[in-house]
Amino acid sequence: MPSTQNPPIAGAAIDPPSLRPPIDDAAIERVESAQLRERLEALRRDGYAVLLDLGAVDYLRRTPRFDVVYHLLQLAPVRAGVADVGSPARKRVLCGIESSQHLPTVMDLWKSADWAEREVYDLFGIVFDGHSDLRRIQMPRDWEGHPLRKDYPMRGPERERAPRPAFANKSNVVAGTPPAGRTLEALQEQVKRARES
Amino acid sequence: MAVGPGQFMLARVDDVARWAQSSSVWPLTMGLACCAIEMMTATSSEYDIARLGSEVFRSSPRQADLMIVSGRVSQKMGAVVKRLYDQMADPKWVISMGACASSGGIFDNYAVIQGIDTIIPVDVYVPGCPPTPDGLLYAVNLIQQQIREGGRGGIVASA
Amino acid sequence: MSVYAKPLSPEVVSQGDNTMVLSMGPQHPSTHGVLQIVLEIDGENVVKADPEIGYLHTGIEKTAEGLFWTQAQTVIERMDYLAPSSNALCYSLAVEKLLGITDRIPERAQIIRVMDMELTRIASHCVWLGTHGIDLGAISVFFYCFDLREHILDLQEANGGARMHPNYMRVGGCNGDLPDGYLARLDALIEKFPGRMRELRGLLQANPIFQDRTIDVGVLTPEEALQWSVTGPSLRASGVAYDVRKAYPYTGYDTYEFDVPSRTEGDAYARFLVRLDEMDQSIRIVQQARKRLDTPGPVMIDDPKVALPPKETIALSMEALIHHFKLISEGFRVPPGDVYQNVESPRGELGYYIVSDGENRPYRVRTRPPSLYNLQALKGIAPGNLIADLVVMIGSLDPVFGEVDR
Repeated sequence: MPSTQNPPIAGAAIDPPSLRPPIDDAAIERVESAQLRERLEALRRDGYAVLLDLGAVDYLRRTPRFDVVYHLLQLAPVRAGVADVGSPARKRVLCGIESSQHLPTVMDLWKSADWAEREVYDLFGIVFDGHSDLRRIQMPRDWEGHPLRKDYPMRGPERERAPRPAFANKSNVVAGTPPAGRTLEALQEQVKRARES
Repeated sequence: MAVGPGQFMLARVDDVARWAQSSSVWPLTMGLACCAIEMMTATSSEYDIARLGSEVFRSSPRQADLMIVSGRVSQKMGAVVKRLYDQMADPKWVISMGACASSGGIFDNYAVIQGIDTIIPVDVYVPGCPPTPDGLLYAVNLIQQQIREGGRGGIVASA
Repeated sequence: MSVYAKPLSPEVVSQGDNTMVLSMGPQHPSTHGVLQIVLEIDGENVVKADPEIGYLHTGIEKTAEGLFWTQAQTVIERMDYLAPSSNALCYSLAVEKLLGITDRIPERAQIIRVMDMELTRIASHCVWLGTHGIDLGAISVFFYCFDLREHILDLQEANGGARMHPNYMRVGGCNGDLPDGYLARLDALIEKFPGRMRELRGLLQANPIFQDRTIDVGVLTPEEALQWSVTGPSLRASGVAYDVRKAYPYTGYDTYEFDVPSRTEGDAYARFLVRLDEMDQSIRIVQQARKRLDTPGPVMIDDPKVALPPKETIALSMEALIHHFKLISEGFRVPPGDVYQNVESPRGELGYYIVSDGENRPYRVRTRPPSLYNLQALKGIAPGNLIADLVVMIGSLDPVFGEVDR
C-alpha cells in the first residue's frame, strides 16, 4: 500500500495528446520552444485575452523532459452578460523543453503570468528569460532543489531514509517531555507524585 | 453565608494566581489552514470559547498566553512560528491543534514540518483532521487543568 | 536555514525618499490566512504592494503523485478548505473524463453533487462575509454567518461523516446515499434561509459606514481583471458574466434554472453584492435539486473496476470479493492521457490539469487555483489606496491560502 513513498516513474515515454482523441473541449496544440513566443503573441492578438493557467509536467524518461502547458481562454475584455459571454473557446498550448533550455516570458502579454512563471521556476527549475523578478515563491528563499521534479525525493533530501515514528512514540522534542501518547490519568499521576514529594 | 463588612478571605497567592490565569487564557491568532476555520467556529456562538475565558484572540504575541497552532506548518512558516513563540511572554502554553500541527498529519513530505513539537514545546495535542470545535474546547479545558494543577507537556486531548 | 525568518531582502527595500517598507503579515488578523504583503508606504498611502505567498505550501500536488487515484482526493480536498466539495467535484469529474465513464454516473449522484456543491458555496460565502465583516469591525456579522454555516456543516456531517473534508464525492458518484432524516433537515434549512439572508443583508448592505469603506475601493476594470486572470465573483462584479456553470455546464447544471448575478462597478461593494446574490441563487438551485431527490436511485456507478461493489455481495460472489480486494489494495488504473476540467468554485474557475500515464496513481495533478490569480490582482489595485483599504480589498477578493500555496 503506497503511502508517501516515492512514486514509480512512468516507464513509457508518454505524449498525452497523441495517445487518444481529446477528452475535453480545449483545442490542443504542441509548439516548439523556438516558435512559442510568436505563437502566443498571435493567439493574444486573436482575442485570447485570458491566460487561465501556466503549469509544467516533468516526463522524466522522455526527451524533451518537461512540458510547459499554457491554458488560454478567448474572452473579450469588455462588459458582457451571460448570453454574450456564451462558451468561450479554450486552447491548450504545450511546449516541450529540456532542463537546460530557457523559455521566453509572457509577462508582458498577460500580467497573470508573473506568479505562475515564478512557481514553475521554483518547483521545476525552468527559467523564463525576461521575467522581471524570477525568484522562489513557494519554497524559502534559500531552498535547494526543485521539489516537483520527479527525481526529487518526496520527503525532501534530509528525511529521505528516516522512518516515520508512530505518534504514540513521538516525543515532545523541544520540551523534553515524555512521549505524546500519555493520557490524562498519567498526568494526574505525575501531579500527585510531584505534590507528595 | 453572608459576607459582612470587616471580614477577611485567606488564600495562597499561588492558588489565586492560577485561578486567575486559568480563567482568562487569551489565545494568539495563529490560524494557518483548515483547522483555523474550526478554531474560528469555536469562537462562534454555537461553541463559544469565550465562556471558558478566551474572550479575545490577541494578534500580538506580547499580549497572548496561549498559542493554538492550527493547521499545517510549512517550511517558511516554521521560522515564523518559532519567532512568535519566543516573543510571547511567560507563562505561555501551546496547543497543537490538528494532525498536521501535531505530527505532519497526512502530509509526509518535503514541505510540511512533521509536528511543531520539533520547534516549540507543546502542552496539548488535539487529534483530528480537522478536530471538531468540541475537541478544541476540551483541549482548552486541559490547559486550564494544567495551569491549576501544574504538570506540563504532551497531553493528547482525546476521549 | 536561520532560526528567525528575515522577510525583507535588500532587493525589496526601496531607495525612495519618503516611503517606508512595512511587512504586513504573515501573522496578521486581517490577511485572511498566512499572507505577507511587503508594502511600500508613504504615510498611510500604499505606493507598492508585493504579496509574498508560500507560507502554507504543503506539497499537495507532489503528495498526490504518490497516492492512489481515490486516496489522492483526500489531500486534494484540503486545498480550498472553505469549499472542500468543489475540489472533490472537480477532481472526480476530471478522473471520470479520463476513465471515460462520465455518461454512466447515476442521475441521483449528479443531483446530490449539485446540491452539495451549492450548499458548500453558501457555507464558503458565509465564512467570507463573516471574516470580511470582522476585518471591518462589524463583529456581529461573524456570529450570524457562522451560525448559518453550522446548519450546512451539520448536513455535511450527516451525509459525509465529517464537517469539513468529508471526501464524500468520489470518482464514480457519491460515497453512500443520503441518510434518513437528511431531507427533512434540508427542508428546514431551505425554509429558514430567506429569513437569515434578510438578516445578513440588513446588517451590512445599507450600513453607511460599510458603504463608505467599500464603495469605489479596489476598482477592477474588465481589462485589468482579465489581464490578471481574475475569475469568479470578482470578475462578475466588474461586468464580465463568465461563470463556468453556464459556459461549460457539468454535472447537469444546464438542467437547473438560475441566474448569474453581475454588476458593473467593479469595486468592493459590487463584489459584496454579487456574492450575496449568489447565495440567493444557490439556495434556488438547492430547492430544485431537493425536488428531484424524492425519487430513489443508485449513487455510485455500477462498475466493479472503478467503484467498490456493495459490501453485502462479498459473501456471495467471488468476483465481488476479488474486485474489492483489488480496488482496496491497488486502486483502479486510468488510461493514459491528459485532461483539463474546470468547475465554478466560490472563488472562481477552479481547474485541474491531470495527466495519467496508465498507472494506478496520478502522474501529475496541476491545479489552476482561482485564489492565486485573484490575489495577484492586489498588486494592480492596491497602489494609491490607504492601508485600511488594503484590508477591504483582500477581503473582497476572498483568497484561500490552502489553494494559493498548495
